[in-house]
Amino acid sequence: MIEKWSLRFRVFLFFALIALMVPALLGSALWFAAGRIGPESVPHLVLWGGAAGFALIGLVLWVWLKFDDHVVAPINTLTSDLQTLTHTNAEHGIETEPGRYLGLLAPAAREMAIALESAQKKLNQEIEEATRKVELQRTRLETTLRDLNEGVLVCNMNHKILLYNRRALNILHYTGEIGLNRSVSNLLSTPSIAHSLEYLTGQLEIDQSEPEFSAHVVCSTSDGRHIIEGQLSLILDSDERTATGYVVTFDDVTEKLAELAKRDRILRDAVEGLRAPVANLRAATEMLIDNENMDDEGRRQFENVLSEESDHLSKRLQELSQDYREIVTGHWPMSDVYSSTLLNCVVRRFKAEDTIQCLINGDPLWMHCDSLSIVELTERIIRKIAEETSATTFELEPRSEKDKVFIDICWAGELVRSGMLDSWLSESFDECLKGMTGHDILENHKAVIWSEAQADGMAYLRLPLPLAKEDHRPLSFDLHGTGGRPEFYDFDLLKNLDNNQFSERDLRELTYVVFDTETTGLEPSDGDEIIQLAGVRIVNGRILSGEYFNQLVNPGCTIPASSTDIHHITEAMVSDQPPITDVLPRFHDYVGDAVMVAHNAAFDMKFLQMKEAVCGVTFDNPVLDTVLLSAYIHDHSKQHTLDVLAERFGVEIEAQYRHTALGDSIATAEVFLRMIDLMKAKGIHTFADAVAVSEKMVEFRSQQARY
Amino acid sequence: MSKKILIVDDEPNIVFSVEFLMKRSGYEVVSAADGEQAMQLLADEVPDLMILDVMMPRKNGFEVCAEVRNDQRLSDLPILMLSAKGRDAEIKKGLSLGADAYITKPFSTHELVEKVNQLLQRRSEEE
Repeated sequence: MIEKWSLRFRVFLFFALIALMVPALLGSALWFAAGRIGPESVPHLVLWGGAAGFALIGLVLWVWLKFDDHVVAPINTLTSDLQTLTHTNAEHGIETEPGRYLGLLAPAAREMAIALESAQKKLNQEIEEATRKVELQRTRLETTLRDLNEGVLVCNMNHKILLYNRRALNILHYTGEIGLNRSVSNLLSTPSIAHSLEYLTGQLEIDQSEPEFSAHVVCSTSDGRHIIEGQLSLILDSDERTATGYVVTFDDVTEKLAELAKRDRILRDAVEGLRAPVANLRAATEMLIDNENMDDEGRRQFENVLSEESDHLSKRLQELSQDYREIVTGHWPMSDVYSSTLLNCVVRRFKAEDTIQCLINGDPLWMHCDSLSIVELTERIIRKIAEETSATTFELEPRSEKDKVFIDICWAGELVRSGMLDSWLSESFDECLKGMTGHDILENHKAVIWSEAQADGMAYLRLPLPLAKEDHRPLSFDLHGTGGRPEFYDFDLLKNLDNNQFSERDLRELTYVVFDTETTGLEPSDGDEIIQLAGVRIVNGRILSGEYFNQLVNPGCTIPASSTDIHHITEAMVSDQPPITDVLPRFHDYVGDAVMVAHNAAFDMKFLQMKEAVCGVTFDNPVLDTVLLSAYIHDHSKQHTLDVLAERFGVEIEAQYRHTALGDSIATAEVFLRMIDLMKAKGIHTFADAVAVSEKMVEFRSQQARY
Repeated sequence: MSKKILIVDDEPNIVFSVEFLMKRSGYEVVSAADGEQAMQLLADEVPDLMILDVMMPRKNGFEVCAEVRNDQRLSDLPILMLSAKGRDAEIKKGLSLGADAYITKPFSTHELVEKVNQLLQRRSEEE
């Protein structure tokens, strides 16, 4: 009890006790004295005794005041200084002035504070340094993974994805189903992965000094369209005996395998297929040679066989050489190149020169070629044309025609004669291209080159190059997000176990897709349509900025100007966008088995559900509504618009994103995450709890509406 | 009496040459253009030797070979396989299915005649 009183109060009590003792002791002393001396002394004793008593009490009071001021107060200041110093801010410092009556205590505390401060500073510096190093390594790892030419997937033992890189995305991303904490079985046919895992974990169990940790895997994508080949390695716990996850590094070998199969077929055809016709020829020839005195009829028949078979053989050879050309040139290392990148290289080569000027026209296109040799060839040809025709300005333009991308070089002047062009192409390039000639370069690209005049009166030189092998159209979800690094991994998922019943699981643990739609109006049953659909995923309480879904939709009807005022989406913007029948199934894959969250979810869900039948998908996911949750958390009579909630929670929506489906989805997701924290404080922990309060709010609101 | 040889091949040009070759070597020749036709001919009459192509429509040489070996009446008919399939595995397959010799196309006509003579001689020795 007494310990709880403040120091000041205890010291006060102590002095108060002394002050009380003064009249008591003095009074009783004088009482005895009066008894001995007699009643005549009483007035004197009272007068002097009283005076002495008051003086003494005054003295005690004065000492107390001084003591309080110079000792107790400084001790209190020092205590609170030391507390601040220890718990929050080491730079707080200690003032010695108030503690000057405390002897060496204040200077000692000050010295300690200084020592603590410098220790803390050093520690902070070390932490900063270490953090910087980790950050650097992390960035390096991210860069390496991102730009690695192989796809990388890291999964836990439940086959949930913890990490993927850009290449994996390119190889496996067809419908938007790749994502953190999604099952790998959405992407790959799993039996061969399961088998490799079984094999490797089996190896671990057998007591072996050096078990294998990786195995070769070949499997197809879940849609069966691509074959991937790669390596599967186990991630082991610190005991080196239990696997906690696995890494698959892989590449798309579909084309390689097809090419190999084709090569095999051609070789087989060349060897086996020629046996029979050659046998026929040889047998007939030997018959003719061995039987000189054959009758004319017989000879004529054998000659027929010879002519027929030679004919047949020539045709076979022709076919074979055609096929052979296709595969034999397929092996020059080439990659998909963006025409503007390549043509800019050409332009830069003439930058320093006054005599030749190059311009790039047209829209850039993707093509498949060896960038360096094409740049060298183009540069040389431009120089030669300039020399020959004294043209000074050249326009370069990529054009897509049928199955080729034409690089057109255009100038005002004469055409180049074919013989001239041939002689240029026969000259070899120096060591940068290992002495290749222009002809070699063209051969590698299965290309021919020619010069022709076109309707605009200009001379053209046309170089057809193969089309890009891969689809380079932008992915449906925005990889770059709205700033910041995309998050490709979450190793916390390694320990994520799925054994809880869904509704009993903590709200923080669930995977959510927070989404928003922009529409032509408010009444889906009156023919209003979705024109934009966006979503963001929340996994492990984190918004995955690398996995946005954001897609404009062609509604197939006019967009009223009144709605364009809100979302700024015009008819021109959606005219070349896919219809909802393409977008909704993709979004369905994107959502997977996540909980769907929206601000005023009933509205958005109504739009989605109107389209379910025509798109062949059903959204039967659990749904949460941030409006209802807000009504529960805050006063239900307050406003719950997204703007109000964002302001209340300090979530900033950049002006350019407000009223875009993606911007509102991100804002709703941010608000939702903060709500989860608040709900926790109110005892709402599980998904079932959240649904219960939502239902209560629906009930409450419908009652309100009745009055 | 001259020995009878059945030539089975779907390419008339090779049948023509081999037929000429065999006749010149003093054999009587019948020919079939595919496996089924060959089996029909074999049902009527058993020749002294069969020259059998492998890749043929309807019934291929391997099937014919296996059927012949399973037929008691035909089981010791010498079979010479003549095939454009020249891999070791295929040669082994032909021989295991019961062919007595396997010659890959293209072949030397001298070698073919020699092999035919050899097989016929061995058979008559066995008898």
